[in-house]
Amino acid sequence: MSEPARIHTPDIPLGRLIRMPGGKNVGQAVSDAEKGLETLHGESMKELQRVLEKAEDYYNRANKKFDGLLVNAFYDLINGAIGLPTVGKDRAIDSMLVSLADLLDYYRISGEWSDKSVQVHLNTFQLLLRTEGARDPEGTEAILSGLQKVSRKAARG
Amino acid sequence: MGFSADSRARFNLAQVSVLVLEETPLGMSILVQILGGFGARKVYRCDTVEKAERVVREAEVDLLIIDAMGRSGAGFDFVRWLRRSGIRPNCYVPVILTAAHTPAMAIARARDCGAHIVMAKPLTPRAMLDRIIWVARAGRRFVECDGYVGPDRRFRDAGLPRGLEFGRRREDGLMLPG
Repeated sequence: MSEPARIHTPDIPLGRLIRMPGGKNVGQAVSDAEKGLETLHGESMKELQRVLEKAEDYYNRANKKFDGLLVNAFYDLINGAIGLPTVGKDRAIDSMLVSLADLLDYYRISGEWSDKSVQVHLNTFQLLLRTEGARDPEGTEAILSGLQKVSRKAARG
Repeated sequence: MGFSADSRARFNLAQVSVLVLEETPLGMSILVQILGGFGARKVYRCDTVEKAERVVREAEVDLLIIDAMGRSGAGFDFVRWLRRSGIRPNCYVPVILTAAHTPAMAIARARDCGAHIVMAKPLTPRAMLDRIIWVARAGRRFVECDGYVGPDRRFRDAGLPRGLEFGRRREDGLMLPG
């Protein structure tokens, strides 16, 4: 027989500590954190270049057909890179990575593979890295919207 | 809390001990920079579940920021272990679970492992501060039963995070008209 549920309200020291005198103004704290992140920008871009090269390697090794182990490794690579571009406030690359992770997640579960859908994401990855800091916002938005349609179409089957 | 991340109010993380579990060095650096900017001085950096478990056993922490750890879901398992560990007061500490790719299944796992809140990457300082302030609010009930140990999963739906018109998961997109 299962035990009855115990419901209680534990003391959370965080609530008290965060209200202690001193500390920072919210706006100042966010600004300081953003300045700290800016110091990681170069490292982040180098890491994204490495991720792109590795992704292209996986794509070439797949050789236009589904390979379960390879797709899992490819998914892990892209999943691990989500969030890195935002260090440089680059939301576009993050959106592309999320779309590619959606696609690869679908392929690894379904066992399907579409060479063109992956290729268009990698081409966009290259383009976004190359044009980092000098992009046309409307054109970028249109490209990302197109990628998301590719992922969603794949998921619909 | 009496303030939001938009307000001019002050907050203090100087005395707060934070445990961060994040396996990638750059992902760890991002969180350390964010927390450092907020004024946090004591950050336990753990790149493996084993290191995080050791810290939980040996020190008192006030906040945990745990990465889901990708496909393995080791972060979910760690939170589940923490909640059932009986190591007081750490087993009740607020947990912010971060995840890169967030299919609906991952969100369900996060909810059921006992995390207070899930944050989809990319992490921004403003969003992180907003969530820290949110989990610091007192009064979230804790449920302990056979199938679940963690904060009460029933609370008011505050809608999507600021700045999002709709969800980012593939399944969210499929629910959109057209």
